[in-house]
Amino acid sequence: MSQRALQKRIISATISAMDEAVADSLRKTLPAQTMGIGIADLGCSSGPNTLMVISEIINKIYETCSQMGIPLPELRVSLNDLPGNDFNGIFMLLPEFYRNLEKENGVGPEGCFISGVAGSFYGRLFPKMSLHFVHSSSSLHWLSQVPPALCTKAGKHLNKGKIYISKTSPPSVLKAYLSQFQTDFFAFLRSRAAEMVAGGGMLLSFMGRSSPDAAAEVGSHQWELLSQALMSMVLERRGSTLSMPPTTPHAEEVANIVEEEGSFIINHLQGFEIDWDGGPTNNDDDNNNNNVVNGFENLSRGRRVAKTVRAVVESMVESHFGRDIMDELFRRYGELVDQYFSKTRAKHINLVLSVTRINSCY
Amino acid sequence: MDVEKVFHMKGGVGDTSYFNNSSVQKSVAEKMKDITLDAIEQMYVTLRPRNLGIADLGCSSGSNALLYIKRMVGTVEKAAQSVQQAAPEFRVCLNDLPTNDFNTVFQALPDLYQELKKGRNNDAPSVYVAAYPGNFYGRLFPENSLHFVYSFSSLHWLSRVPPGIYDEQGMLLNRKSIYITKNSPTEVCEAYAKQFRQDFSLFLKCRSEEVVTGGRMVLVLTGRSSPDFYCKDNIFAWELLYQSFNILVSKGKVEEEKVDSYDVHYYGPSREEIEDEVRTEGSFKLDRVEMLKKETDCTSSGAAIAKTVRAVQESMLSHHFGEAMLDELFDEYGTLLDREMAKEAVTFIDIALVLTRL
Repeated sequence: MSQRALQKRIISATISAMDEAVADSLRKTLPAQTMGIGIADLGCSSGPNTLMVISEIINKIYETCSQMGIPLPELRVSLNDLPGNDFNGIFMLLPEFYRNLEKENGVGPEGCFISGVAGSFYGRLFPKMSLHFVHSSSSLHWLSQVPPALCTKAGKHLNKGKIYISKTSPPSVLKAYLSQFQTDFFAFLRSRAAEMVAGGGMLLSFMGRSSPDAAAEVGSHQWELLSQALMSMVLERRGSTLSMPPTTPHAEEVANIVEEEGSFIINHLQGFEIDWDGGPTNNDDDNNNNNVVNGFENLSRGRRVAKTVRAVVESMVESHFGRDIMDELFRRYGELVDQYFSKTRAKHINLVLSVTRINSCY
Repeated sequence: MDVEKVFHMKGGVGDTSYFNNSSVQKSVAEKMKDITLDAIEQMYVTLRPRNLGIADLGCSSGSNALLYIKRMVGTVEKAAQSVQQAAPEFRVCLNDLPTNDFNTVFQALPDLYQELKKGRNNDAPSVYVAAYPGNFYGRLFPENSLHFVYSFSSLHWLSRVPPGIYDEQGMLLNRKSIYITKNSPTEVCEAYAKQFRQDFSLFLKCRSEEVVTGGRMVLVLTGRSSPDFYCKDNIFAWELLYQSFNILVSKGKVEEEKVDSYDVHYYGPSREEIEDEVRTEGSFKLDRVEMLKKETDCTSSGAAIAKTVRAVQESMLSHHFGEAMLDELFDEYGTLLDREMAKEAVTFIDIALVLTRL
């Protein structure tokens, strides 16, 4: 639930960028299309955020078509995530979603078809030229694998004592993470290029960093603190072999890869700050939402971060260190974060990238 | 009781799951294999689509769904070779009610993709699988997006328990049973038949908007071998289940009123009823109708059949009765089945249809 709160804030902050991207791609592709519109949300996860995103996209399409004075085309909406995602949870919400769609937008059962697609977006997921708009939020910072270069043949771990990049990581570690991101993001773009029509738009939002120096970024300090918490539990020998997959690329690195892949032009690429826990909550809106039911808002900020991070990395950490240490680990982690917050304002940088598929000879 | 919200095959991969107890359905599909693969091959050779849309309606959560995909892809690839055309992109649409356990199917997908790639270099088939949750008694897919539809062992499930089995006061006309029996009044039989006609007609109409001209449908459902409503091969299994309930009632494990108020949303049509409805609805022509008979023999196990029925009926039963009595109910059912099968072979009828979109 707490992880969703953070993702919800990120999505909310990117909504106007997304609206613009949707409208833009429609104007570029609609005159030519005859077979309805294909929309995909990649890394859709499960829960209320999932349907909130596509609801927003559908509303925007509806609005744009009204402005253009054309009838609403048939909508094909695909929700994608890895095979382990809880799709059943999303599907149970669909009958009501369709009913609301009809009530609010007059979109009947022949107007919108929502499907689930399970698979890795670092490869092909959809038929050629079937998509007009692609959205992805809070997913592209997860690499397809831990950089293999982090383990030499001798099995000696390069990033010993760390679970991510930190100030004292050797340059080869930074290089390994960057290289993996480059490979992954390139594969992502290449796959989408085949699947999108010319003029189609893509809006991607993921964790990044503002400084070109991979080790300087405060955002990665979150992982540094988790590493410290692990160390403090005298797990040094085991601690040195766990490397976390998430990565925070710099905007320039991202732009370079887009240019190199060559199928997309960048409309804009921006970063905005977001607090590690989604931000302090002083206002009534937040107090009225679901988080209050969990008592989330009443926790210290450090413990909120701990809950958020735990929801994301639990399976990885648990499979490495076992279940017994988890509660204690994240308790200590929460304390370290509280201490850190008392000294600095800790934020992620969230990158928002909007691109358009150019004409091609595919 | 809203069927759409409650009805689903038993999910997961446990001992009583559909995943591990759908081999009866599998043996139906094995027989259907030739019919189905022939139909998809003929369709492909005629239409030769570059992007081929296939839909499985009522895919459930078992391993059958992915097995069928593999077979169909293989058949179409061979057909494409034989007409010197590049294999198409495959768009596979798996449909079932939103309450279906799709997660289990998805978790098995990576293995399917691996198998499709095995031994191939760069020419592995391009197969894109998506799940479309929804009720097939309504629109599910974009217009003209499908070339081949198949539905195995799903169309005998009605959209609801026929309202016509209750009189104006809401009293059940079909006492002492959960389905049609030799003692059921005519109004009850006709109510079931009418519901089937309405549902099947709506099914055909919706598919007619989604399937391209020349596209094929292969449908299999349990049915009965004669126009007579009281045909044994169809109502037998339900009668035994009702008797199992009675045993539990006599032991005080289940209340009699609960049993009296339970009715299945099922109908096994006759060949004539199906042919009539296809003709009336008018969007498809019937290319082929096969009556597939399955007879039990001395090796048949009552317990195994009971498990199959359980995987299919469990969601409705536990909604109505709770879970506690299920084990005992199906123990009794298995025993009754064994006893009946020892007396004489029991026959089950499946009706297989091949239709072409006009």
